[in-house]
Amino acid sequence: MSSEQPQHVRVTRNRREFFRDACCGFGGLALASLMAGDQARADVGHPLAARQPHLPAKAKSVIFLFMAGGPSHLETFDPKPLLNQLSGQRRPAEFGDAKYQFISKDARLLGTQRKFRKYGQSGVEVSDLLPHTAQCIDDIAVLRSCHGDMVVHSAAQYELLTGRIVPGFPSMGSWILHGLGSESSSLPAYVVMPDPKGALEAGQPMYMHGFLPAVYQPTMFRPGDRPVLNLDLPKGVSLAQRRRTLDLIRSLNQANIDPADQEFAARINASDLAFKMQTEAPEILDLSHESPRTLEMYGVGREPTNDYGRRCLLARKLVENGVRFVCVVSGGGPGNMQWDAHKDIEENHLRKAAETDQPVAALLKDLKQRGLLDSTLVVWGGEFGRSPEAQGGVGRDHHNLGFSMWMAGGGVKGGTVVGATDAIGLRAVESPHHLRDVHTTILHQLGLDQNRLTYPHLGRDERLTFLEGEVIREIV
Amino acid sequence: MRPPLKIPQFIRHWFGCVAAVATLPSALHGGDLETDAPRKHWAFQPIDRPAIPAVSRNRQALTPVDAFVLAKLDRRGWRQAPAASRSQWIRRVSFDLNGLPPTPEEIAAFETDLEPGAHERVVDRLLDSRHYGERWAQHWLDVVRYAESEGYEYDRHVPDAWRFRDYVIDSLNRDKPFDRFIREQLAGDELAGTVPLAEDEDCLAKPQSAELLSASIFHRLGPVRRNAGNPDIALSRNEVLTERTDIIGVAFLGLTVGCARCHDHKLDPITQKDYYRLQAYLAATAEHNIALVPKADRNAWEARTKRIKEAMARIKKRLAKASGVEKAKLAAELKDLEMTMPEPLPTIPATADDFEKRTAIHVLRRGIWEKKGEPVGPRPPGALVDDDLEELPADIARPRLRLADWIADPGNPLTARVIVNRLWQHHFGAGLVATVNDFGSHGGVPSHPELLDWLATALIENGWRLKPLHRMMVLSATYRQSSRASDADKMETADPDNRLLWRFNRRRLSAEEARDAMLAVSGHLNLRQGGPSVMVPVDEGLIKLLYKPEQWRVTEDASEHDRRSIYLIAKRNLRLPFMETFDAPALQSSCARRETSTHAPQSLEMLNGPLSNDLAEAFAGRLTRETGGNAGLLVERACRLAFGRPPTREESRIAQTYLRDGSLKEFALAMFNLNAFLYVE
Repeated sequence: MSSEQPQHVRVTRNRREFFRDACCGFGGLALASLMAGDQARADVGHPLAARQPHLPAKAKSVIFLFMAGGPSHLETFDPKPLLNQLSGQRRPAEFGDAKYQFISKDARLLGTQRKFRKYGQSGVEVSDLLPHTAQCIDDIAVLRSCHGDMVVHSAAQYELLTGRIVPGFPSMGSWILHGLGSESSSLPAYVVMPDPKGALEAGQPMYMHGFLPAVYQPTMFRPGDRPVLNLDLPKGVSLAQRRRTLDLIRSLNQANIDPADQEFAARINASDLAFKMQTEAPEILDLSHESPRTLEMYGVGREPTNDYGRRCLLARKLVENGVRFVCVVSGGGPGNMQWDAHKDIEENHLRKAAETDQPVAALLKDLKQRGLLDSTLVVWGGEFGRSPEAQGGVGRDHHNLGFSMWMAGGGVKGGTVVGATDAIGLRAVESPHHLRDVHTTILHQLGLDQNRLTYPHLGRDERLTFLEGEVIREIV
Repeated sequence: MRPPLKIPQFIRHWFGCVAAVATLPSALHGGDLETDAPRKHWAFQPIDRPAIPAVSRNRQALTPVDAFVLAKLDRRGWRQAPAASRSQWIRRVSFDLNGLPPTPEEIAAFETDLEPGAHERVVDRLLDSRHYGERWAQHWLDVVRYAESEGYEYDRHVPDAWRFRDYVIDSLNRDKPFDRFIREQLAGDELAGTVPLAEDEDCLAKPQSAELLSASIFHRLGPVRRNAGNPDIALSRNEVLTERTDIIGVAFLGLTVGCARCHDHKLDPITQKDYYRLQAYLAATAEHNIALVPKADRNAWEARTKRIKEAMARIKKRLAKASGVEKAKLAAELKDLEMTMPEPLPTIPATADDFEKRTAIHVLRRGIWEKKGEPVGPRPPGALVDDDLEELPADIARPRLRLADWIADPGNPLTARVIVNRLWQHHFGAGLVATVNDFGSHGGVPSHPELLDWLATALIENGWRLKPLHRMMVLSATYRQSSRASDADKMETADPDNRLLWRFNRRRLSAEEARDAMLAVSGHLNLRQGGPSVMVPVDEGLIKLLYKPEQWRVTEDASEHDRRSIYLIAKRNLRLPFMETFDAPALQSSCARRETSTHAPQSLEMLNGPLSNDLAEAFAGRLTRETGGNAGLLVERACRLAFGRPPTREESRIAQTYLRDGSLKEFALAMFNLNAFLYVE
C-alpha cells in the first residue's frame, strides 16, 4: 500500500517512523544501547544513534550567539569612513531608498564614534567596541553583506531562526536535530539559553519545533543553577525511591506486553533515559568544578560579564558533551535591554558589548584549545543591523538591507571577509547574502542538504529555507 | 481542441443555469488551466453513491462500513483481527467520543448488559453526552488554528475568543448540520444581518445573532502581526488575507491553496489566479469587536477605566522620583488601584464587511504584495467550475456567504469527502485519504475510494449530521477489532501501515486526553462547561519568556485549574509544558493530525512535573479513601480506574509487593506512566 502514496504522505505510524520520533529527543545513542541493539540497528533507516548526514560534514554542533535586537554593523565589523564625513547630512540620493520602522525619510546620517583597526595576521578590521573578539579575528569569517526581508523584530527574528517571516515553522535547531539526531545520552540535544533579563518579541515560537514531532523541541534553560525544567525530583522524593518507582513502571509495563512490541519498549526506555539524565546532567551543568582560570577567562564572577560568561561556558560544556545546537541569547526585555539602540547607540552598544565581548572571545579560545572549534560552528549575529541614519539624534533604527554577522570554527575559513555594503553601510552591494544563505551554509557545514532535510506539512515538503539558499562559498 | 467538459451537476445546481459546454481551448478564456488534467483529479469528480459490495463473510459486516473494508480484505484473502474485549472496546469508544475514560461502573454495566443492543446503548449515551462536543471540538479547533492570542511580539489576547470554542462545542453537541456549520463560520456576521460598523451605535447582539457572530470569530483566529512605528498597512493586510485564505482552503476544501500564492505549479489544480480569486471573497472582511452590554453600561465602564488609568499614571509619575518608604507605599497604592480595574466587557470578536476599506485584490507576482498584477474578483477555483463562469463583482454584497454556499453545496465534490475523512481519521487512526488536509494533486489517494464516497453521500443524505456517521463507524465490526492480530506477519509485511484495516490502530492518548484522564482518575476533574478560558499556574521562567509577562494572569479560583483541557487558554506564545511535550499543536497553522512522539523530556514531565505529581497525590488519596488501604483492593481499584480493567495476576503481585513498603503516591504516579494508562488498545 505504501508504494501508492506520494513520498510525503504520512499514514499511521509504522515501526520505523515510531523509532525516529521516539529516539531523537534526549539521547539517541543511549536508547540504542538500551534497546535490543542489533535488532534495532538492523531496521533500515532507523535513527536511534546519531544519524549520518547527507554529505561529508565539517561540524558536529552549532553555537548560535544570538545578539537579539539587532547589533549595529556600523559600530562593529563594517567601517564606513564616508558615513562619518556625511554625518548630519541627508542620505545622498544615489544610495537609494530604505524603509525603517520608526525614522522618517528626512532623517540625517549618523557617523560612528567607534575606531576601527586591523587585527591578526588577516588584518580584518574590527571596531574598538569588541577588543576581545578582535583578538580571535583570524578564526572568524565576517559576513558584511547579510540582508533579510523584515525590518520589525518579531518577523525578522522568525526569519533568522526559522527561515520564515511568520511563526509556526521549525527553528534551525529543530531542523538540525531532525537531520542529525542526538549524540548525548544525558543532555537535551537542542538547548536555548535565553537572556534572564526578559523575553524577545518573537517569543518562544521562534525556537520551537513547529510542525515537527515534539522530540525536536528545544529545551529552554532557565536562569540559575537548575536550568532544566523537571530535571529535579519532586519535593520529598529521594533518588532511591524514584529508582524503585521506575523499576515498578518497568515491571508493570513488561508484565503484559509482547516482548517484541517495540513501541512500548521505547516508552519504557524513555523513562529510563529520563532517569539517567536526571542523575548525570546536573553534574555536567555544574560550573563549580571549572578552574579559576577558565572562569576568569569567561568573566564569570565579575560584572558585567558574569551572566553571559556563565552561559557561554555552559555552551562549551554542552557541545563538549554532544549537544547539537545551543543558542545563547544576549538581550531580552524592553528594547534597550537588547541590542535595540533606538535612543543612544553608544550607551547601548558599549553596555551590550561589555557584557558579551569577553565571554564570546573566551568561548572561541576555549573551544580552540580543547580541539572543539573544528567541529563546532559558532555563529554570531542578530535579526538585522542598524540604520546609517540617526534616530532621535544619537540612536539608530532597525535596518535589514545590509548588516554583518560572523561565523567561526566548524570548517569555516577564518580571517576572511565576505561581501560589502555600500559606502554608507546602507545596502549589501557586493556578494549579498540573504539569511537563507546563512542557513544553507550552517546546514552545509553539518553535512545537511537543504533540499533533503524536509518534512511534510500542509501539502508541501517543507524545509528550513523558503527560497533555496546558496552556500557561502567564500568561507567554506 | 479539448473534448467537451462534463459539467458537474452541482455547478448547475448552484449557479442555477446550465452553462454552455466549453469547447474552446482554455487559453482563449483566461488561460487558467494549461490542460484539463486538473479537472480529472479524482477528488474533483462528482460523488456518486457506490453500491455496498457483497462480501463473502457478510455476517461479519455489522454496518455498511464493514462491507467496504471486508471486500478489500477478501480480495487478498485476509481476515480481520478478532473482536476486542468488551472492556477494551468501551475504553476505546469512551476516549474516542468523549475524551474521557469510562468509569468502572460504566464498564461493569456494559459488561453485564447481555441484551442485544448493548453496544448501541453505550454509543448513544456517549453521543448524547455533552462531553462529546468537548472532545470533538478539539479536533476542529486544531484544524482551524484556534488560539486566543494574536502571536508575534504583543501576543494580544483577542477579547473573549473562547466564545468560538463554546460555539463549536455547542454546535457539535446539537449535531448542527455540517453545511450550516460551514456557512456560520464563514459568514455568520453576514447571516446575522446588518450589524452597524460604527462603535457608538448600540449593536447589542440578540441571542440568535450572538451565535452567528461567535461563529464568525473563525476569521479572527489566526496570528496577526502588529507593530509600532511606521506600519506597513498594506503588507500587514496582505499577511492577514493570506492567512485567512489559506485556512479556508485547508479546513473546508482540503486544498492547500497557499501553495499557489507565488506562482502556478505544474499539475496543481489550483492556479495562482484561483488563489487570488478565492482571496477576493475576503476583500472586505474586517475585524469587528461587538460589545455585549448596552451603550450606557459601556460608557460607564469606559469612564471608570479612564479614571483609574489616570490615577495610576499620576502615581507612576511620583513613583519614578520616590525612594525608600514612600516608594513602597506608592507601589502598594498602585497595585491596589490596579485591582479596582473593571473586568473587560463581554465582547464578541466578530468580523464584518467594511466595503469602504475593501482591499483591491490583484494577482501578486511571486506573492509579493507590492508586485500587483491583474485585478481579480471572487470566483471559486477554476478546476471546480465551468470555464465560462464570470467572476463576481468585487464589491458584491455578502461575499463570504456566496463562498460558503458554494463550499457547502451538496454538489461540491470536496466538502463532504473532506469532513467524513476527518471523522474516519479520528476513529481509525488514519484517514481513508491519509493527507486529511490535502485532497489536491500532491495529496494521497484514498485507500477505499468507494467507502469514502459512500460515507460522503450518507452524510449529505442524513442532512449533513455527523452523529449518525460516528454511530455507523464506531458500531462497525472494523472498529470492534482488537489492536493485536494473530498471524499478522504476512499482513504486517504487505501493509505495514494497516491501511486495509486488518486490525485496530492502537493509539497514545492526546495531550488533552492524558491530562483529563489523570484528573478524572484522581477524582479531581472539574466538569464545569464553557465560559472564559482558564490560566493555570506555570513555571515562572516560562512566564518570563513572554514579552508581556503580565498577560499571564492565573485564574484565581483554584478549582478552575482542574477543568477539562479544552477550557485552558490557547495562548500562542505560552503553551503549557505538559501539552507541548505530548504533541499538542503549535497553534500557528492548521494541524490536521497530531504527532505522537515518545522521548525523555516527556517522561521527565510525567515523572517530575507538577501536574502528574499533584494528581498522583490526589489519586493516592482517593484509593485510600475508597479501599481503606487494603493492598489487594487498592491495586484492583487503581487498575480499574486507570486501565479500565482489573489487574492481571502478575500485575497484582508486582504492585502488592511494591506497596508493602513503597510510597502510595509514587505507586499512583507509576500508574499514570504506564502504557496501559497512556494508550488506547
